[in-house]
Amino acid sequence: MKTSWYSPILRCVLLFVVGIALQLVVGDFGVAWMRYPWSVIVAINYLYLLVLCYAMEDKWPWARGLRSQHSSVVALASMVVMTVVFGLTRQDGSADGVVGALGFTRMTSSWPFNLLLLNFITSLGLSAIDDWRWVRQRKIAAVISHTAVFVALAAAMFSSGDKLRVRVVAYLDTPTYMAIDNAGREYELPFVVTLREFNIDEYPPKLRLLKQSDNTLSEEYLSSADSVGEIGGWTLRVKEYLSMAGCMEQGGEYCPMQHVGATHAAYVEAHNDSDLVEGWVSCGSHIFAHSVLALPGGESVVMMSPEAKRYTSRIAVALSDKDVRYADVEVNHPVRVGAWRIYQVGYDNQRGRWSTKSVLECVRDGWYGVVHIALWLILASAVVMFITAGGRSLRRKDREEQL
Amino acid sequence: MMWEQLIWFAIASTLFWVLGAATAWRENRQGRAMWLSVTGSLIFFAFIVGMWISLDRPPMRTMGETRLWYSFFLSIAGIFVYARWRYKWILSFSTMMSVVFICINLFKPEIHDKTLMPALQSVWFVPHVIVYMFAYALLGAVAVFALYMWLRSSRREPADEEMAMCDNLVRVGWSFLTLGMIMGALWAKEAWGDYWTWDPKETWAAATWLSYLCYLHLRPITKRDYNIAFALILFSFLLLQMCWYGINFLPSAQGVSVHTY
Repeated sequence: MKTSWYSPILRCVLLFVVGIALQLVVGDFGVAWMRYPWSVIVAINYLYLLVLCYAMEDKWPWARGLRSQHSSVVALASMVVMTVVFGLTRQDGSADGVVGALGFTRMTSSWPFNLLLLNFITSLGLSAIDDWRWVRQRKIAAVISHTAVFVALAAAMFSSGDKLRVRVVAYLDTPTYMAIDNAGREYELPFVVTLREFNIDEYPPKLRLLKQSDNTLSEEYLSSADSVGEIGGWTLRVKEYLSMAGCMEQGGEYCPMQHVGATHAAYVEAHNDSDLVEGWVSCGSHIFAHSVLALPGGESVVMMSPEAKRYTSRIAVALSDKDVRYADVEVNHPVRVGAWRIYQVGYDNQRGRWSTKSVLECVRDGWYGVVHIALWLILASAVVMFITAGGRSLRRKDREEQL
Repeated sequence: MMWEQLIWFAIASTLFWVLGAATAWRENRQGRAMWLSVTGSLIFFAFIVGMWISLDRPPMRTMGETRLWYSFFLSIAGIFVYARWRYKWILSFSTMMSVVFICINLFKPEIHDKTLMPALQSVWFVPHVIVYMFAYALLGAVAVFALYMWLRSSRREPADEEMAMCDNLVRVGWSFLTLGMIMGALWAKEAWGDYWTWDPKETWAAATWLSYLCYLHLRPITKRDYNIAFALILFSFLLLQMCWYGINFLPSAQGVSVHTY
């Protein structure tokens, strides 16, 4: 092995060993202290040190070694090893056993992982600085991707203490400004949220066969909206499907009903070579009990609870008495309130479409803009890399063919 | 359009792909080889569009559906590589791989669910899956090619052109992996408020991305050390398998990944 590999490998091994020692002595790598303004102060100092290392490369040979090609490869390889260990270890936060004691069951808080990640980011940052110094001689895709990946990773690292995620359970027409964080502590929001309306679109419920002997459901299913299908040797035919139905007596007929608590119901005919059975099945609601259709042979046709297609909360967000904004919050469509974003995460599953509460998450992420720009730059660099891949060798080949 | 009709589209597509692959081996028939292959891919894409319409959602949710895209993008990757670098063998390879995945879908279709959960209803869903499938197809092609060069009976050292092709395919495949990963991060931010949560799928995606990146950085400094290069390509491809479907069987990922279907 060439000597140029020794130093980077030794550095990674040492960082790993030091990380293990720190993990065993001081416990998890905590980021709670790294909040504004400390996060910004630490980030600025880190950037200053990076530039200083780069500027002093001639005097400090070890600093040059941090961004050598060999160093980059070893730093990448160390991250591959750590992420593979990460993937193979169940992240349940347990401290039991050797794996737990080394912190691998909570990898993002473990010292070895974070020290090696810092080594990787440092190597990347120095390469990015060098890229910009010699930008005309470098491939543009590499320049952009080095810089953007560095910014994204460094921002993720230094912003980890600043990010705040709290959960709000909003009830219909009830203003609230109290939220709960991940540790179960109460948090007072800088605005008041009121749920004005909650809407949900559902898929027609699925019909499955339930084997009563071992309570297992068939893999195959028939949608209530479909007319006919084969499941487990039975032909099921949906003769009538009501998306808003009610039943006045247990085991009786279902009829259309436009009222709170209305449920889905289907009149199903099931037949095989020897038997023919028909009757109502329903998934029930918080008002009506569910109904099943018993089949000869110990099986039943059951209707599953409907799956949500989309759900939306219309909320009012009051920043002051005079500043009240209305917005619709939907999965994949958060609402922005200053540095906060409000996400739709759930509702009362027991009541389904009749839910009167909406579960929202409020996330404060002051580094949103920085990370977002970095990610878009990485996207752009990937496109440039795709377009320019193999370009030089192709042009050379064309020239050779012409000659 | 439903799964029962796949067989007819598969036969027609395969016919055109095979004709295209055979034509590629003949001199001065590049244009014809391309158009035959493109026709095969268009026929297969027509089936995917039909499924899309009949399901009323993009067919990208189940393993069977992603295999449809994998077959399609293998053929597209083959055409793309052939158009750009004129490797004669690539159309034969992409045809064979596409047909293998079509056969898996014909004989083991698995569950084809019609519903699409709210988190998957995003503008990022389609491009995220498509670029990943294209990356998988390219990186699958380079893995097989590397294995062939490593184990071929002649024991001949790879030519510079062959290694350049490996590097180019990994570079293009990696750039598509990057696109998929970043689109996923932007989507995750919209859906859950975090770009990255180290979900098992994300962890293995990061390992795969880093491993191919390691290859791209290693090649310029170990130009003649082919064993390391081939081993790293194959190792990275194994990581990619873990990311694609391995986590469905991995004990550490059971019940904790939002990506297991």
